[in-house]
Amino acid sequence: MLFSQLKTGDKAKVIKLTGGKEFRKRVSEMGLVKGAVFRIKTIAPLGDPIEIEIKGYKLSIRKSEATNILVEKINYK
Amino acid sequence: MNIAFAGNPNVGKTAIINNIAGSNLKVGNWPGVTVEKKEATLILNGKQITLTDLPGVYSLSSYTIEERITRDFILDSEVDCIINVLDSTNLERNLYLTLLLMELEKPMIIALNMYDEFKKLGYKIDLEGFKNILGINIVPTSAIKKEGLDELIKQALNLKGRHSKLKYRLRYEGFIEDEIKNVVEKLKKENLQSKYPLRWIAIKLIEKDEYIIEKLRFETKKDLSTLAKDNIMRIEERFDEDSESVLTEIRYGIINGILKKVLKKPQKIASTITEKLDSIFINRVLGIPVFMFFMYFVFKFTFDGSAPFIDWIDGFINGYLAKYLSIALSNIVPGWLNSLLIDGVLGGVGVVLSFVPLMVFLYFFLALLEESGYMARAAFVMDKVMNSLGLNGKAFIPMILGFGCNVPAIYATRALENESDRKLVAVMVPFMSCGARLPIYALFTATFFLHHQALIVLSLYVIGIVIAFIVGLVLRKTSMFKAEKTPLLLELPPYRIPSLRILWISSWTRTKSFISKAGTVIALTMILIWGAIHLPINSTYETSFLARSAKVVTPLFKPAGFNNWQIVAAIIPGLIAKETVVGALAQTLNIEEESNQNNSSNFIQDTTKQLSELIDAFFNSFKAMFFNISQETFKLESISNKFKKRISQVMTPLSAYSFMVFMLLFIPCIVTLAAIKQEFGWKLMFFEIWLLIFISYIASVIVYQMGSLLYNFI
Ligand SMILES: Nc1nc2c(ncn2[C@@H]2O[C@H](COP(=O)(O)OP(=O)(O)O)[C@@H](O)[C@H]2O)c(=O)[nH]1
Ligand SMILES: [Mg+2]
Repeated sequence: MLFSQLKTGDKAKVIKLTGGKEFRKRVSEMGLVKGAVFRIKTIAPLGDPIEIEIKGYKLSIRKSEATNILVEKINYK
Repeated sequence: MNIAFAGNPNVGKTAIINNIAGSNLKVGNWPGVTVEKKEATLILNGKQITLTDLPGVYSLSSYTIEERITRDFILDSEVDCIINVLDSTNLERNLYLTLLLMELEKPMIIALNMYDEFKKLGYKIDLEGFKNILGINIVPTSAIKKEGLDELIKQALNLKGRHSKLKYRLRYEGFIEDEIKNVVEKLKKENLQSKYPLRWIAIKLIEKDEYIIEKLRFETKKDLSTLAKDNIMRIEERFDEDSESVLTEIRYGIINGILKKVLKKPQKIASTITEKLDSIFINRVLGIPVFMFFMYFVFKFTFDGSAPFIDWIDGFINGYLAKYLSIALSNIVPGWLNSLLIDGVLGGVGVVLSFVPLMVFLYFFLALLEESGYMARAAFVMDKVMNSLGLNGKAFIPMILGFGCNVPAIYATRALENESDRKLVAVMVPFMSCGARLPIYALFTATFFLHHQALIVLSLYVIGIVIAFIVGLVLRKTSMFKAEKTPLLLELPPYRIPSLRILWISSWTRTKSFISKAGTVIALTMILIWGAIHLPINSTYETSFLARSAKVVTPLFKPAGFNNWQIVAAIIPGLIAKETVVGALAQTLNIEEESNQNNSSNFIQDTTKQLSELIDAFFNSFKAMFFNISQETFKLESISNKFKKRISQVMTPLSAYSFMVFMLLFIPCIVTLAAIKQEFGWKLMFFEIWLLIFISYIASVIVYQMGSLLYNFI
């Protein structure tokens, strides 16, 4: 599923990175590698960017950039 | 001996260096770029040691200047020891850089910083096991509590005698490691003579790192771009992904494995202070008001807090020192030389020094925003606004400071990460109408628009902002200001309480570099301007070079509506500081302002007065920051009737408005230019001069011509 379909508080796993070579490299070096689990923390007051929590730290990412990240939602048990 | 500090941003590199080096710290720029370089040289146990603070990075790719600086410094300069500083409360991401540094096979040790927080949060670590797996010495440190720093330096100094290179025990996952070995073998067969480690070259080839391939082509005269082709194919086939992603994943996999063995996380991390603060600071409703609130306070503290000191320095130099030096000199040197020394040289020194309080206050509050972790939130909250210019939200801060004074605003661009962003904002800042332009507006609005003063002044501010954005949008399309296509991946670090000592050291070292770098440019220009006003010798204002050349260029300003030489001649002295224009107009228009100079001179009395005024300045600064809500910076001063009458004889409301637009958009002052020169070099400074002259002229002509057209219609 697409990153944009996630809501605040959702937990998800990275399935695949698309987009340009540089984008994939940057994003994965920040820890958004295949299989990494993250959580949507909050959205900025003006609707963009989004704050996520990944690998124990907080990262902000713009919506336009996040569209290149394919994810799988993890449901709470 | 050279020790370099490398690590992610906000892990405490600067705090550690500050604590070790203290006042030995020097701030400059890395050669050719505007990334700040902090360095300290000290003598320890009779050995001279240089500590270098490398730019904070998350990886060593070639995409940002910071990454290239850090990597090239480690690769190409003689570093005897790298101290890799880690934020122990966030090891997973921090260790990624550690693995990259280890690939470079330089002697290194790890500072496990923020150890105080680490313990408080309830983490536990098997330090011996950790050291064993990495094959590197690890020293727990706390820069804030000053713990472990002596041990860190001791380990770094001892390292040299024992290793040239470390034998790292860490190897990558079997399949990849075999491919790396295979490439190394090929490199050996190629008989490659490189100063870089072969394993590292092999990894870079597998990652298809073009920058390194170029670098090697230059060093070894060999094209290695296809050497690892079949290895890459095998890897991509097996993992069904491009090879650089595979390596990134594998490194993170290794990190996971290490941490599983040595790190024990606390059962449950209680909702931290950061979580609580963020629920207010980046709240969907409160986020923007909170940002505005902080901006208001930075603005107020910076300008109102420094104002009493600026006034004191001004009075001390231009009143007290000038008076007694002039008396002392009057018997020794001729009048013109006396004037050159007092009005030119001493005046120039006065201009530079009067900025010192402002710079100290600005750097202090900027560092406070940065070190506390709020700056990243500001970027997050305001991102969408600045995004249209391809800038992130941090760019808002220099813009706002620009309304107070353009000079600190130029230096505030340091808060931005990449060079082309910084340049773009620096070019836009002078369009923000600074406080020094207000006296000009005050004079003309009081003369022509007495009942709409506020409205007219507001319209000027808006014109400035609109033009800044248009300029930004247009320049962004040119190659000089092209955005580097890096995505906004901004870390929001935990909030931390910065140490006062470190804030003070960092603001004072930056201020010192302002005095020495910008000071010379300012002093020289002051002397030139003095020459224009006072030469030839024994000339009056009307016969000076300035007046003569003003008379020559005046016809050029006919389309803009202010073609009196008296008005035009006042523009140049305005380069010293915009408010000077008012005084210069008084002189060219022959208006005697009653002088309040007291001519009685009692040296002792004057000296004690200076001292007591200095004490008052401290008191007033404190009062202005904490007890006084009114905004002194925006006060319009009162104007004498004689002045108004004389002005209204030579100008109309329309030409006055056109002149105000011109003064709004024209070169703000030489100090702003000197700041641009110091931060970005001559090229950008001349570009700015050209741009400001062009835009101010065109805009005032448009205002006047459109205004005249409208006027004829009505
Ligand atoms: N609690 C704690 N805070 C620290 C420590 N070291 C640095 N800090 C704080 O962390 C913030 C970032 O530090 P800084 O030196 O600017 O990091 P740099 O970006 O790596 O240079 C500052 O507010 C420091 O005061 C530490 O050991 N413990
Ligand atoms: Mg730093």
